[in-house]
Amino acid sequence: MLSKFQYDLVALVIFALVVAFGVPAVMNYDGFELNTFARYLALAIVSMALALSWGTAGLLNLGQAATFGMGSYAMAMHLKLRASDGLPDFMGWNNVETLPWMWVPFESLAFTLLAGLLVPAFIGGLIAIFMFRARVAGVFVAIITLAFLVAFQLLFINQQGLTGGQNGLTGLAQMSLFGWSVDTYSMGFYYLVAGCLVVAMAIGVYLTHCKFGLILRAIREDADRARFFGYNVASYQTLIFCISAALAGWAGMLYTMVLEFASPTYMGVSFSLAIVIWCAVGGRESVIAAAFGAIVVNMLEGRLSDVFVEGWHLILGVIFVLVVMFMPRGIYGLLSDGVQKLRGPGRSQDQRDGETLPNL
Amino acid sequence: MDVIANQLFAGLSMASILLMIALGLAIIYGAMGVINLAHGEFVMLGAYAAWALQTYVGIGILLALPFVFISVAVVGWIVEKVVVQNLYHRPLDTILATWGIGIILQQTVRLGVGAESRFVKGPDILTGNTEIGPLIMSNYRLFVIVFSIAVLAATWMLMTRTEFGMKLRAVIQNRGISECYGIEAKRIYSITFAYGAGLAGIAGALITPLFSTIPTMGTGLVVDAFLVVIVGGLGSLIGSAAASVLIGEATAIFSIVINDTLGRIAVLAGIILLIRFRPRGLFPTETRR
Repeated sequence: MLSKFQYDLVALVIFALVVAFGVPAVMNYDGFELNTFARYLALAIVSMALALSWGTAGLLNLGQAATFGMGSYAMAMHLKLRASDGLPDFMGWNNVETLPWMWVPFESLAFTLLAGLLVPAFIGGLIAIFMFRARVAGVFVAIITLAFLVAFQLLFINQQGLTGGQNGLTGLAQMSLFGWSVDTYSMGFYYLVAGCLVVAMAIGVYLTHCKFGLILRAIREDADRARFFGYNVASYQTLIFCISAALAGWAGMLYTMVLEFASPTYMGVSFSLAIVIWCAVGGRESVIAAAFGAIVVNMLEGRLSDVFVEGWHLILGVIFVLVVMFMPRGIYGLLSDGVQKLRGPGRSQDQRDGETLPNL
Repeated sequence: MDVIANQLFAGLSMASILLMIALGLAIIYGAMGVINLAHGEFVMLGAYAAWALQTYVGIGILLALPFVFISVAVVGWIVEKVVVQNLYHRPLDTILATWGIGIILQQTVRLGVGAESRFVKGPDILTGNTEIGPLIMSNYRLFVIVFSIAVLAATWMLMTRTEFGMKLRAVIQNRGISECYGIEAKRIYSITFAYGAGLAGIAGALITPLFSTIPTMGTGLVVDAFLVVIVGGLGSLIGSAAASVLIGEATAIFSIVINDTLGRIAVLAGIILLIRFRPRGLFPTETRR
């Protein structure tokens, strides 16, 4: 009998094999198709990051798109600087004479990569400390992060000279890593994104199964009880928020590389709730399921929008309402219930006790 | 001085619109703990209902209000029966489900009516301005302010002076015990949800001459209205009124002191601080949860 950790490892290996060999074969090694799929993979990382904070720790972060956007703009700023000599073009249109100090360090790739992870983690950490020190929980976490997201997006669009405003950052250069100029329609780039996703998922699986993950689940089930056991609930919550934000920033960096532009819609309320939808469809309790959910929903979106140009959004809404109502634990819930049935009723009861949904 | 007075009036006008939208939300959230992200779409439906009545039937906004109220309330009632009723024990999931419903309503309108902006004419008797010294007030905005106060009063009467209100308050305090006394909590919830949706519809109809009527108009409004409810305090009508005045005026004042966008950001930051330090709002009601 395999433990849950072993199940997850098996699932991760299967997932990695499918992404590495299955998908390119099915796509016929076609550059355009692979680029589209790489986009889904980048989005899978941010969905997985949400599963860490929402599924594991019970903190519904509706502002995930803000940290995603920070990562994506960090990368876009670097690529924009490489594309323009001296001053990026949009700054000229906005009467900005010299390169703002914020932009200067983004000339360096190493700084960009670090900033793409650490800036979201730092900002996420600040919000987390601010909320969790006061024991803000449940719905109020969702509201504060949502309000933060709205304010952040407004600020970003408002600072047109610094950020390109509503137009975002376009006309980006190609990324070059250690002399390898990254062609976004190549196999190499696909494997870069796929590799990042698998590594991120491995981190996620490890985090959910180590002692840290166990304590987070305890906090999700009953924060007070965890507190009485002597755990510092706020610092655990803050740490998982930081990790989740850093992963979202990572996903944002990859996303900018795939699409070759950055837009303030990445920080929109709609996008943020879309992340929640992917995570919920896949199953928020498992990072692998959440990543899978992002890929499935986005593929479906791609296919449906080809067939029903007008109505696909409607279909998506219906699917989502049905998932929330009848599959609250997502695809993962269906699978794990199926496994429980196969095992027979005797063992399943004590197994299930540990994984009931949080009553938020 | 003139600028400030006019800006204060603009703030009050905005507050009255916020109040109309937030009232429905406050009742639904206060009574059932349901965060209804589809509320903005109820507002949008109300606006489109007013547009349809004016364009195809030829009745003005004021006469259309009762019809708008009833039709949007019916939509709300159906939504409650089909979806929300199954989710009362999972409050966080209601955020997600109602967001899905919002997408469905928005897309239905987009497919049915089209994405382009619709124009609704304000009532003829309320055109023009009332001028007191340098202060210039649009008659229609004045009317919306008065109307929102009337709706607030009517809702307060409904909650405190009718049998329905008493039952609702009983269910809010303790659902189990109320059911033992023969109150049908499910029915009370359905009616409350429908009433909240109907109020959103009226709000939508009233703002049509002031805003452009497009399928996505609700999304921005719902965030604002929701913040009003949270700031005001769980289920407190007076709190919602005070919070909408506070937020409306703060936005108006900040927007002349700094600028529109930064003003809004400052208000949002203020709200975040408030939730952090007073998570139960400005006027928390004493309920046993």
